[in-house]
Amino acid sequence: MTPAAEADPVLSVRDLEVSFPSEAGRVHAVRGVGFDLYPGRTLGIVGESGSGKSVTSMAVMGLLPDYAAVRGSVTLGTRELLGLDDRQMSEIRGRELGMVFQDPLAALTPIFTVGRQVVEALQIHQDLDRNAAWKRAVELLDLVGIPNAAARARSFPHEFSGGMRQRVVIAMAIANGPRVLVADEPTTALDVTVQAQILDVLQLARAETGAALILITHDLGVVAGTADDVLVMYAGRPVERAPVGELFARPRMPYTIGLLGAVPRVDSAERRPLLPITGNPPLLVDLPAGCPFEPRCPISVAECAVEEPVLTPVSPDGEHAAACIRAGHIADGRVDGAAIYPVPRAPVAPAAAIPRERRPAVLELDGVSKTFPLLKGTLLKRRVGSVYAISGVGFDIREGETLGLVGESGCGKTTTLLEVMNLRAPEQGSIRVTGVDVSDLADRRQERALRRKLQMVFQDPMGALDPRLTIFDILAEPLRAVGEANRETIGRRVDELMELVGLDPEHSDRFPTAFSGGQRQRIGIARALATNPSLVVLDEPVSALDVSIQAGIINLLNDLKAELGLSYLFVAHDLAVVRHISDRVAVMYLGRIVEIGTVDEVFDDPRHPYSHALLSAIPVTDPQVERTRERVVLRGDLPSPTDSSPGCRFVSRCPLHPALDATQRARCVAETPELTGAGGSDHLNACHFR
Amino acid sequence: MIVVATNLTYFLASLFLDPRANYLQLRPPRSPEEIDRSLAQYNLSPATPLLDRWWHWISDIVLHWNWGYSPVGVSVNTQIAFRIGVSAQLVLLSMILSTVLGIALGVYTAGRQYRFADRFHQALSIITINVPTVVASLVVVLLAIMLNQSLGTTLLFVAGAQSPTVSGFWPLVLDRIRHLVLPTVALTLISYAGYHLLQRSLLLDTINSDYVRTARAKGLTRKEAIRRHGLRTSLIPVATSVAFAVPALFTGAVITETIFGWQGMGQYFTSTISNNDINGVVAVAAFGALMTAIGAILADIAVVVLDPRVRMAGS
Amino acid sequence: MTANFPGPVPTVDLGAEPSTAEKRMTRARLSRRRLYLRRFLRSKGAVAGLVILGLLVLFALLGGEFTPYSYSDVDFAGLTAPPSPDHILGTDSAGNDTFAQAVHGLQRSLVIAVSVSALTTVISAFVGAVAAYLGGTTEKVVLGIVHFLLVVPSFLILALVSQKAGGDWRVLIVVLTVFGWMYNARVVWALATSLREREYVLAARFMGVGRVRIVLRHLIPNIGSLLVVTFTIGVVATVQGETALSFIGFGVQPPDVSLGTMLNDGADTVSSAPWLFYVPAVLVTLLTVSMALIGDGLRDALDPTSRSGGGA
Repeated sequence: MTPAAEADPVLSVRDLEVSFPSEAGRVHAVRGVGFDLYPGRTLGIVGESGSGKSVTSMAVMGLLPDYAAVRGSVTLGTRELLGLDDRQMSEIRGRELGMVFQDPLAALTPIFTVGRQVVEALQIHQDLDRNAAWKRAVELLDLVGIPNAAARARSFPHEFSGGMRQRVVIAMAIANGPRVLVADEPTTALDVTVQAQILDVLQLARAETGAALILITHDLGVVAGTADDVLVMYAGRPVERAPVGELFARPRMPYTIGLLGAVPRVDSAERRPLLPITGNPPLLVDLPAGCPFEPRCPISVAECAVEEPVLTPVSPDGEHAAACIRAGHIADGRVDGAAIYPVPRAPVAPAAAIPRERRPAVLELDGVSKTFPLLKGTLLKRRVGSVYAISGVGFDIREGETLGLVGESGCGKTTTLLEVMNLRAPEQGSIRVTGVDVSDLADRRQERALRRKLQMVFQDPMGALDPRLTIFDILAEPLRAVGEANRETIGRRVDELMELVGLDPEHSDRFPTAFSGGQRQRIGIARALATNPSLVVLDEPVSALDVSIQAGIINLLNDLKAELGLSYLFVAHDLAVVRHISDRVAVMYLGRIVEIGTVDEVFDDPRHPYSHALLSAIPVTDPQVERTRERVVLRGDLPSPTDSSPGCRFVSRCPLHPALDATQRARCVAETPELTGAGGSDHLNACHFR
Repeated sequence: MIVVATNLTYFLASLFLDPRANYLQLRPPRSPEEIDRSLAQYNLSPATPLLDRWWHWISDIVLHWNWGYSPVGVSVNTQIAFRIGVSAQLVLLSMILSTVLGIALGVYTAGRQYRFADRFHQALSIITINVPTVVASLVVVLLAIMLNQSLGTTLLFVAGAQSPTVSGFWPLVLDRIRHLVLPTVALTLISYAGYHLLQRSLLLDTINSDYVRTARAKGLTRKEAIRRHGLRTSLIPVATSVAFAVPALFTGAVITETIFGWQGMGQYFTSTISNNDINGVVAVAAFGALMTAIGAILADIAVVVLDPRVRMAGS
Repeated sequence: MTANFPGPVPTVDLGAEPSTAEKRMTRARLSRRRLYLRRFLRSKGAVAGLVILGLLVLFALLGGEFTPYSYSDVDFAGLTAPPSPDHILGTDSAGNDTFAQAVHGLQRSLVIAVSVSALTTVISAFVGAVAAYLGGTTEKVVLGIVHFLLVVPSFLILALVSQKAGGDWRVLIVVLTVFGWMYNARVVWALATSLREREYVLAARFMGVGRVRIVLRHLIPNIGSLLVVTFTIGVVATVQGETALSFIGFGVQPPDVSLGTMLNDGADTVSSAPWLFYVPAVLVTLLTVSMALIGDGLRDALDPTSRSGGGA
């Protein structure tokens, strides 16, 4: 079944090359990309940051800055797009090519109503009068799922949530029935339940317009669920191309195989270590000859460094192509029958031998609440109420245990974590760290003693390290803060720490900018371990990293936990990562824990309707599973947590709620559900009816 | 704030200025008693305790809106009323000119980033913004003198706000314009560059913003996208800075007014200090503070008009 | 948009054996400092500014060697004499040698500008950073004072005080400093407030690092580039302020000489003895413009987000 036989490609890209000038020399961001896009089909372009996937889409749209040098050919139908000037391109953009961007918060002009912006998109290319355009704009907004579109069209972008804004952007992109839709990481900035909605809207939009879709993403799960064909990019070049099923089932390029092995699966209880790809992607300046993946490739041979391989068909029908000279030897993720990526040793935590109840608790939260004042007025701010950031949060973490705290943005997970780190008595409830109640801390000395036991790793490996300090000073800071003054002791400890996280101690006199993202995160972890803490709080520690790097960090965290008997409080929005690393998991919604239990119980048998929906929204990196499984797509967005009235906070979006009878529904609204479990189980959930 | 600042100035001025100096040079010389008596009628005599003078001064303002007299008996109210008009002509005109010129240049050069026109205007603006006012104004004067000499007639006057001998409506207007040109040019010259550079950098920020890119993806050309989507957003901070510049312009016209011999607020400011005119100085200070407040309010209004986000939050 | 385009990211592959990694590291680190220098030097304006400033400083320091006159010497034989071999830049109406006066005036103006700018930068850095980090009441009080001082017509009070002081340049420095730090303090405060939210500051706090230490170790070094720029811009502003004040007679006063007083003298005789105006006018303009160019060049060179490399 060759699509080429059915129709001519709507968009053809050949030998596309893009380069930019930079301090270090010319950056060759895209180096010879080519693909055909057929009507009605979805092409997924996958790659890590810097792989050139976004630049490719910008080149197609003609939106690259003037100083970018673009070569090659982009033909839409029969028309060559490269070389058209801005005016000629503007005739095509919006009418034939529609685009959806990554950051919906920034993509809309803040000073115009969304209706006006959609109207503009219509009027640029169609001769419509004001009323007709407005009517059509409202229809479009309605189509993409903006509730009450006629009224909401008069709102400004800042009155919409991220998901709603992305819908508006999609409405603008399809306003003129384009032949090609380009979506550049359309869901990366969104929460997972909203991501599921937006992917549905995109498919709907594609179906409605009959357009072909280019979906650019780093998320293999998204590709597995939506793409028909996949192009994997590395270092500015396509390294593998195949129909989606074929690619996930029989990858032939070691990089693709590595990527697939590096992603934890949310649907698997198996706890094998992930397969990280060592090293970092190359700088795209003065690339050496040979395969760019060669330095990181576990099966490279001398020939690999000689010449850069081109995409060559590896399947009889020519649909599957890979750029690897050893592709012929690779089958089922193995080369000549041997595993390409050696499976790392699985760490065994000594604590796991002791039953949970017998291990001491390192962190206990009981009924912790935190409110923020709700202010009104521009000049004179007065308090008109309180926002419950978290309310009645309680859990405990035992020695050697990892608790994953999950939920969407605004659910209160970060607030919970900051409440713990502040070491101050909470507004309500109690916090005990290694058995010490923080409200009993009398002075700074006692506080410092407790801080020794409690350390934190931050999300952003760039932001968490002071750029003006050397790695040595960064690692020495926590030691000095707890009163260690002996230079020699500090020096020895810093060397130890560097080795512990897999860095060369020789490099401790460098500044953070000399390290890559993954290495910086290792430094952040080393810093947290400096004082030999019992509990490490991890705030989204891998979300800023590429998958191939992320796997290494996750493995490191697991090793350290086993080796040092650490406990983790792990906050993340990526549930696959949480499943992989946690022993227990707590699901938060609008400041409350709605479900808590061991990780397998919660993931395999979610009780609360929210946990259920959240888990079902996560794409799985397996096209077959992904396309056949049943999904619960939540309606709407997270409401704002201003309301402190009783009742279940999930009521407005609950898929179970409409199915209940009237008295049951009344109970949901009137009575705040408590965390309860069946029998003596510690798998608890806060739903009256589950 | 205005009230506190004004009262503070009153005490400072009373401490630092000695109105008796105005009488010391008079021939025939007066005795200290005579001087005190003359000053006492204007509430300026150092013989009266400072607090009494202050009370007298503030009650006159609050009850009669009378800001006092200079050491030689000139009413501050009359002076200010007259001078505000003079300054306003100069300041408002140059403010409008420099804003329009600055924004226009900013928009023009931002669209041509790093090309010749951009580099040229940027260099020019960096020079004009950094040349001290004195130098800039005097250069304008020199050029005007050269122009007049080459024409053989005085086309543009380098001093004063108007000629005393002209009568009739149209001749008067023409005369006014001929006086107004040079100081306006001088003031505009020193203030446009700030708006130019600000507008340029703000517009460049918005040109590279995601929403301008979205607008281009809809099918607007780069120029249209910048004009329709980038410009108004980038105007917000410029409008704020123009509004805040109002007070600075009034007092900042000191040099210009001095050089061009205009009897405006700026010139009043120097003459009151040199003449130990305590009440005059304080009135100037109050005026300055009032202008700052007006500037702040104007800035707020501008933001509210231009930015729907603030409008929403306010209502 | 920026995020989509790759820039030069100096990274090190730790998988490589230590020796090559070592070499690459050293290169990465050296290039950081060299990068600033290279970015600065690429700006032609900044280099020109630096050269001009260098010449001006040389002139102020060594200019006295080239003339037999001191700035206060009076030559009754040549009042308001145009430039001649005897007085290379002529004399003024009192018979002072213009060249000698220019050297002295430039010295005076430079000393005032540099000291005021240095003092205001230090004060504003400390006040701004402390207010931002401590927050709460301290922050409110400091901002209140700053805003109040910004409303007070400072130019007027400056004039009042310095006139009373009889034009002593040391008093002028003090007064200009007292009324000059607020604006910058506010800028520093704004920047430090954003730094306060940075994760590395949060990290330090969670490690139990003391407040003063956080301000000194994390906040101030990270606003360093801003301070460097503030300093150069401050010099320009002070020169402008000083010349304006001296011009209207409230700054440096005779018999002392600054560029401002020279301008004042020159202004009266713009058409009859233009050299008296040209000399200080050229000097002061060169001084402010060169400093401004240097400031611009530094800002571009030190600002990590500056994209001057991309389009130039």
